[in-house]
Amino acid sequence: MGDGNTTNRGVTTGTGTSNNNSEKPEWLQQYNLIGKIGEGTYGLVFLARTKSPANRGKAIAIKKFKQSKDGDGVSPTAIREIMLLREITHENVVKLVNVHINHADMSLYLAFDYAEYDLYEIIRHHRDKVNHTINPYTVKSLLWQLLNGLNYLHSNWIIHRDLKPSNILVMGDGEEPGVVKIADFGLARIYQAPLKFLSENGVVVTIWYRAPELLLGAKHYTSAVDMWAVGCIFAELLTLKPLFQGAEAKSSQNPFQLDQLDKIFKILGHPTTEKWPTLATLPHWHSDLQHIQGRKYETNGLHSVVHLPLKNPAYDLLSKMLEYDPKKRITAAQALEHEYFRIEPQPGRNALVPSQPGEKVVNYPTRPVDANTDFEGTTSLQPPQPASGNPVPGNMAGAHAMSNRNVPRPMAAVGMQRMQPQGMMGYNFPSQAGAAGGINPGGMPMQRGMTAQAHQQQQQQLRRKDPGMMQGYPPQQKSRRL
Amino acid sequence: MAANFWTSSHYKQLLDQEEVDVVQPLDRDKGINLEDFKLIKMHMSNYISKLAQHVKVRQRVVATAVTYMRRFYTRKSMTEYDPHLVAPTCLYLASKAEESTVQARLLVFYIKKIYSDEKYRYEVKDILEMEMKILEALNYYLVVFHPYRSLVQFLHDAGMNDISMTQLSWGLVNDTYKMDLILVHPPHLIALACIYIASVYREKDNTAWFEELRVDMNVVKTISMEILDFYEGHRMVSDERINSASSKLGLKPETSR
Repeated sequence: MGDGNTTNRGVTTGTGTSNNNSEKPEWLQQYNLIGKIGEGTYGLVFLARTKSPANRGKAIAIKKFKQSKDGDGVSPTAIREIMLLREITHENVVKLVNVHINHADMSLYLAFDYAEYDLYEIIRHHRDKVNHTINPYTVKSLLWQLLNGLNYLHSNWIIHRDLKPSNILVMGDGEEPGVVKIADFGLARIYQAPLKFLSENGVVVTIWYRAPELLLGAKHYTSAVDMWAVGCIFAELLTLKPLFQGAEAKSSQNPFQLDQLDKIFKILGHPTTEKWPTLATLPHWHSDLQHIQGRKYETNGLHSVVHLPLKNPAYDLLSKMLEYDPKKRITAAQALEHEYFRIEPQPGRNALVPSQPGEKVVNYPTRPVDANTDFEGTTSLQPPQPASGNPVPGNMAGAHAMSNRNVPRPMAAVGMQRMQPQGMMGYNFPSQAGAAGGINPGGMPMQRGMTAQAHQQQQQQLRRKDPGMMQGYPPQQKSRRL
Repeated sequence: MAANFWTSSHYKQLLDQEEVDVVQPLDRDKGINLEDFKLIKMHMSNYISKLAQHVKVRQRVVATAVTYMRRFYTRKSMTEYDPHLVAPTCLYLASKAEESTVQARLLVFYIKKIYSDEKYRYEVKDILEMEMKILEALNYYLVVFHPYRSLVQFLHDAGMNDISMTQLSWGLVNDTYKMDLILVHPPHLIALACIYIASVYREKDNTAWFEELRVDMNVVKTISMEILDFYEGHRMVSDERINSASSKLGLKPETSR
């Protein structure tokens, strides 16, 4: 095995939703497969529901890792994700509820608590459908929770390295509505004592959210790269547009991205060695002098891009996240203490409720589910079911069942008491019966077969399509190299 | 986690010596006694080191691999899972976990180089299948703490970080992986035991420094005695003794299919 051969599967193929399939391996029988919700280079993501009485109907996202083609076993991406998520538990980090191995075809499955939304979709919905900005309470609550999760990771010496809106999940209706979950730890790593330079891992972080020290070829980098990404995400939550939309130079392993740097410099002004002393030591600062240092953007126009006055606390926090010098960049812990989070509206645990009673609730779209794909990724040719017509009632009803959202509860401080959801008795990991989490199907570029899809589905099918599919708004770019 | 040993899965999984010293029933049926069990594990630890030198990975990868192998055999029998396959596969998995991935075919190449004997030879496919079985048996806990980091910090703190003390105590730590200490004791106490032995050997008086540490010196001394006992016993271990222990297994290559 290990040659990528997909025959001889232990699971039946080609029978559509395989919900009542008796030939499934034993572990799989504890789930009802609903359908495929994502697809990426390393595998597929499915939505399933648990059958066990204790958690009946609970939505689970199952990420299936294919065997790598080159005969090198379990992918390092999966190993990283498993090893980190097995150690950590935090309200604002996805919860890995189970790992399964199918020895017959050597595939590996990670089961997460399902999250209905992600920041990519929330931002997109506001930009394309609602046509107004995200309310300040929601922005602040999302950001606070993102920082809260990140502070936990960083204090545990974990750098995420791939933060972007589609990796920031938000729970739908259920035990933790509107709670942020950081997902997709396939690039995350422990940085306390790396055996190799961190930069040897290949290029990381999706280019739009990539910190300038990475773009300039830094060998050693720190948790500050995550904070830069948070700054970019914060700006995007405010304006609904990616802050620095550089065009990725795809040709090489080389992380040098001139256009991305240019986009950054254009808004923030050129970095200088006075403000960023180690700048001169970065490889690309020298290697491409005439380009990088050729154009001069003197002024910092960030405030006008995000439409905030210079004295606004939100602007102050944002500018500290987008500090050029990683050593001076604000940390997650410091950011949580920032004035922005102390002034009204206070951040809350349910980020998606309206900030004031009477304010209109935004109904975000639920994830489209391709109910015609089984765990093998085999698609039948029946027309797909619309996402809203989900066969199982309950918290999946998502957007249509949100009337029970409450007015926000103020979030007191860092380390607030967290609500204990019901235990996860049906699961193999008793030690992790804590907060619920989700998975990131959003982190994967969707590659569904457009031609086979019913026309009404096209709108949703277009989510995260291949580059070039969406005019004027390129989809999120990936840079995943192992 | 990565920073805090006390909240890690490693800490939660520490075992008592008696739990580590259980010979699996299937192995016992083959006549493997506790001494054989320990010898085979020691032999396999050496094998992992040898392979690691060929594929050029660092000591921490070896240490993690040996820890995986030793944990594995607290749960699985050698009869069902051939140590000659489990050991290299643990190195393979550890190389991924420690971000120094080694290709399976490279390992297979060196396995064949080290062992001319057909029955110890395994193919890439065998390693990949065993990788998943090991992952499962480890219950997907892959983060392992080692004494090396605290060793360096302690030596620095005690002002004993000269080359001779560093080399001696570092070598002692390496040798602890020939025993099951990493499954039983917190790594920083293993580091202290090695410093303790090294300073006695080098006739350095560290009593004051040790007294200032808020650790249970009784445990440190117990670990030290175990290490010294191991060296004492090790002198009498011959290759024949190891071979006779291994031969009891009969090594039915059940695991390859």
